[in-house]
Amino acid sequence: MATEHSAHVDDGRVHAHVSSAQFYWGIFAALVILTILTVRVSYYDFGSLNIIVAMLIATVKAGLVATFFMHLQHDSRFNALAFLAAFLFLAIFILLTYDDMGRRGDVDPDYGGKVQLHTGQAAPGGLPATTATSDETNGEAPKEGAEQKDRPKE
Amino acid sequence: MANVSESVHADGPNGAHDGHAHAHPDFLQHHFDTPAQQFVAAKLGMWVFIATEILMFGGLFCAYAIWRGLDPDVFDQAHHFLNKIMGATNTVVLLFSSLTAALAVRASQVGKRNMTSVYLVITILCACAFLVIKYFEYSHKIHLGLLPGHCFGHPGFSGAIQNGEEVGTCLRIHADEAPGNPQWVRAVDESGHVQLLPPRANMYFALYFVMTGLHGLHVVIGMSILIWVLVKNLQGKISTEYFTPVDLGALYWHLVDLVWIYLFPLLYLVGKPE
Repeated sequence: MATEHSAHVDDGRVHAHVSSAQFYWGIFAALVILTILTVRVSYYDFGSLNIIVAMLIATVKAGLVATFFMHLQHDSRFNALAFLAAFLFLAIFILLTYDDMGRRGDVDPDYGGKVQLHTGQAAPGGLPATTATSDETNGEAPKEGAEQKDRPKE
Repeated sequence: MANVSESVHADGPNGAHDGHAHAHPDFLQHHFDTPAQQFVAAKLGMWVFIATEILMFGGLFCAYAIWRGLDPDVFDQAHHFLNKIMGATNTVVLLFSSLTAALAVRASQVGKRNMTSVYLVITILCACAFLVIKYFEYSHKIHLGLLPGHCFGHPGFSGAIQNGEEVGTCLRIHADEAPGNPQWVRAVDESGHVQLLPPRANMYFALYFVMTGLHGLHVVIGMSILIWVLVKNLQGKISTEYFTPVDLGALYWHLVDLVWIYLFPLLYLVGKPE
């Protein structure tokens, strides 16, 4: 295994790389500058790019913390693999769920959740509304009113 | 400690073949041949644990992604109830505590026991500062009635709240003010603007409380771990030969920092500026 440890004399003792204190302070300064940047940038509207800009800055910050504060730079590559694998599976989880949810009905304008706009019925497999809708809605919401009688029992 | 480390040094690689005939140092578990082997195993275990932690928070990030995708405008409106300055202050506090945690590991690596204690104490104090700021944020939002189940809950669970009855500064408006939207909530945001929140803004605040709440729980657990490490260090059980507790405690603390690095922009910053 090509680890940092095998590069040293294998005398059974722990040989960890020691970075200088100034180096850690430098990383901290970079993290603070990026934090100020991400707050400042949030006062400008880039439309749909807002979240991408914020996530890019956050990922650079997370990369600095993981690589240097958490010593991944000089650590066993296998540890970095375990760490990055978590993000790979997280991406699969979120992207597939997001794609699935995108194909189920429309958002209920009052209560969230997914409904079929034409009938007002809960979308098949869709998320339920966040607040119960059946009892307390008044008759002034036509869609809600129609929905009460048609909504299938769950 | 010197004689112990010498003995490890002397029979380190050979010890593997000698079985358990040689003397192990105190910190070396019986089933490990060498301190280096024990250290590598402990680090790998910690990283696998960190991966599971990321996946646990991942469920909440997934919920955030889906509900934000469904309701970008409501998330945008609701995020004005969070104070960017307090969030940014807490971010810097956590980043600084990560720095001192890394410096504590460094101090233990080079054998400066007192400095390790000092850095650990600073890290723990930063964790306290984070929780104090979080307390002020939470209490303000709870006062506004943004807690799930208060203004946003099912009427059956909050019988005190009727149409138009004032609760804090949050108000369940009359049906005739917004026909068809009987449960919209009126509250004052961080910029002093009066906002009319639809019932489904509940989802943003529910995610806010659960995500920051789970993170806050990790802050408390991380503090407890660091206090335990500090006690070990004060007892003289940490040395240049054995600094694994400091290293792994700091790794956990950096994880707390990592999660917050993503929570801060997702909850406080993403959305249209006013």
